[in-house]
Amino acid sequence: MHKKTVIAAAPILIGTLALASCSSSKSSSSSSSGGNKPGYTIGFQGPLTGPNAQLGINIDNAVKLAVAQANASGSLPFTLKVAEADDQGDPAKGPTAAQQLIGNSNVVGVVGPTFSGATKAAEPLFAQANLASVSASATNSTLTDPANGFKTFFRIVPPDSAQGTSAADYMAKVLKAKSVYLIDDKSDYGVGLCGNIKAQLGTDGVQVTGDSVAAGTNDYSAVATKVANSGTQALYYCGYYADAAPLAKAMKNTPYTGKTLSDDGTNDPKFIALAGAASEGWQFTCPCLSAAAATDATTMKFVTDYTASANQPPGTYSPEGYDVANTLITVMKPLGTNVTRAGVAEGLKTVDYKGLTKQIKFQPNGEVTEKAIYVYQVQNGKITELGTVDKLIAG
Amino acid sequence: MCLSQHFWQFLIPGITLGCLYALIAIGYTLVYGVLQLINFAHSEVFMTGGFAGLFVCQALVGTGKVPHGAQSVSYMLAGICCSAVFGAIVAFLLERVAYRPLRRRNAPRLIYLITAIGASLFLFNLAGKLFGRDKANIPDLYTDGVVFTVFGAQVRVQQLIIVGAAVAMMLALDTVVNRTKLGAGIRAVAQDSQTASLMGVNINRVISQTFVIGGLLGGAAGFLFGTYLNVHYQMGFLPGIKAFAAAVLGGIGNIRGAMLGGLLLGIVESVSQSCMSSQWIDVVAFVVLILVLMFRPTGILGQRLGRAA
Repeated sequence: MHKKTVIAAAPILIGTLALASCSSSKSSSSSSSGGNKPGYTIGFQGPLTGPNAQLGINIDNAVKLAVAQANASGSLPFTLKVAEADDQGDPAKGPTAAQQLIGNSNVVGVVGPTFSGATKAAEPLFAQANLASVSASATNSTLTDPANGFKTFFRIVPPDSAQGTSAADYMAKVLKAKSVYLIDDKSDYGVGLCGNIKAQLGTDGVQVTGDSVAAGTNDYSAVATKVANSGTQALYYCGYYADAAPLAKAMKNTPYTGKTLSDDGTNDPKFIALAGAASEGWQFTCPCLSAAAATDATTMKFVTDYTASANQPPGTYSPEGYDVANTLITVMKPLGTNVTRAGVAEGLKTVDYKGLTKQIKFQPNGEVTEKAIYVYQVQNGKITELGTVDKLIAG
Repeated sequence: MCLSQHFWQFLIPGITLGCLYALIAIGYTLVYGVLQLINFAHSEVFMTGGFAGLFVCQALVGTGKVPHGAQSVSYMLAGICCSAVFGAIVAFLLERVAYRPLRRRNAPRLIYLITAIGASLFLFNLAGKLFGRDKANIPDLYTDGVVFTVFGAQVRVQQLIIVGAAVAMMLALDTVVNRTKLGAGIRAVAQDSQTASLMGVNINRVISQTFVIGGLLGGAAGFLFGTYLNVHYQMGFLPGIKAFAAAVLGGIGNIRGAMLGGLLLGIVESVSQSCMSSQWIDVVAFVVLILVLMFRPTGILGQRLGRAA
């Protein structure tokens, strides 16, 4: 992410800024021991630094946990490592990060990329290298369009079109909003999602006002004033928490009394940390399962293990990241000591694995078959699950 | 029509933002006045102030309840003072380490500019490395609420504090520059540094003092900005560029011009959004700048403090 607003007055500074924020990448390996077993590597691509790093870290930690557990189980015919490639969530850095993983011949499967924009930029390279990449979070609807030729791309979250339709129905049928104000952050993800919401709101007969504010904007007070003045009953922000937080703060400074909502990019405890009291009452739609709100034994064990290994509780897309890593491991295991990139890519087409979040089975275009959208709300400074949109609409 | 409908609702946040731009712009203009140098690293002085304020407030408030009454006032003052001091320290070091060696060697102007950009890159990357690259939130120091309304627009505690603090600092600065010996020194160096040194003004000391004064205001602005929004290692970039534009708008080198330019830029940015999509926010500011410079090439108030470079 982090597209700087470019100002014509300072070309020098902008050039140098681009230089300065050059990606840093690191490679870490989880401990592996095991005589003569061959070693394979699962790659991770996503933001590990930069303003939206938390979403990447959430997934990365889960991948490391899954790999460590698989190694420790002793049932693998090979040893596994994790290689990280940091793309900062930035489309411009997506291809470089992908190339780092492709260049590492031990990498047989990739978890990620994390953000839609970076995925779009990186996927042609993965397709060329026949290296399967399974995203736990990239939700832009167009990514699985066969015309793109991203033949090695899979994801275990439903696309924005599913989230957009559900979010619109939720606002129209559950919140009973007659008018909705949509703001996108001009990213591939934000624009795509808001477009989907707008289309469905039109079908639902809700009046829509739209605006876009580039991510990285500092001051949202004028935008907030506009929203308040419009007399809208609900505000939906399509973007990530780094920008949703200042927007929430600015909204609190207006007399606005309507509902405030955002998406899976904002559904993170960091949003509450940044926006403080202004985050109270915000609702999020998310194709993700919140580990914190879970009650079943498997998920609770995951929360305990994750917290112990990562020194922080699981965040948004941590369970999905864990599922993706385990899906890859499930595919790799029967291949024994002869795991190839082609073998993994082929195996994903027929995999059927029961993960934490859902039954993981892919359609031919790489979409997961199960598509539930959950609604969350910040209540007393904590993200609380309200249920799936389908259930909430049914009452 | 769109302008008149909600004019006041947009004006109030515009004034708040404008006051912050003005505080930063003063730092650019002061340094330009004495050195004819655009100190692009000033945006990092602003960022340092934000982080200093963040750490002070975290230490004071911790995870406890939102303070109130006299406690709020004292915390707020502590935050402002600390961030101002840290801003001043960074500005002082910047002058010592980056610019003074160049001055001693009579380096050409372009080298100063490159050094300024280099120092800026160094500082914000250092901050990113030390403090993390995530945004951070300064804990609430007071309970924000509506104080009164003007023509249907709400004025909040936060906005009053920012505007009040900024105006107080600007008045103090104006007095220092126009009424004290220190100010006389700055004005003398700005008008003609050679003659000033012949008259017994210690130029190096005056330049250091100028950086420190700019750093005090920039650091405090960083803290106020942080309480209003968030603190981030790149938080200085856009406000810095805007404040630089504001300084040019008012007449670079002219202190009152920087104040006026900052205020004007903040208001134009905010009010213009009542008519256009928010995508245009940064465009509008610079269109205004170009329009003003077309008709008044030296800015609204002209370059008064220094000679036209």
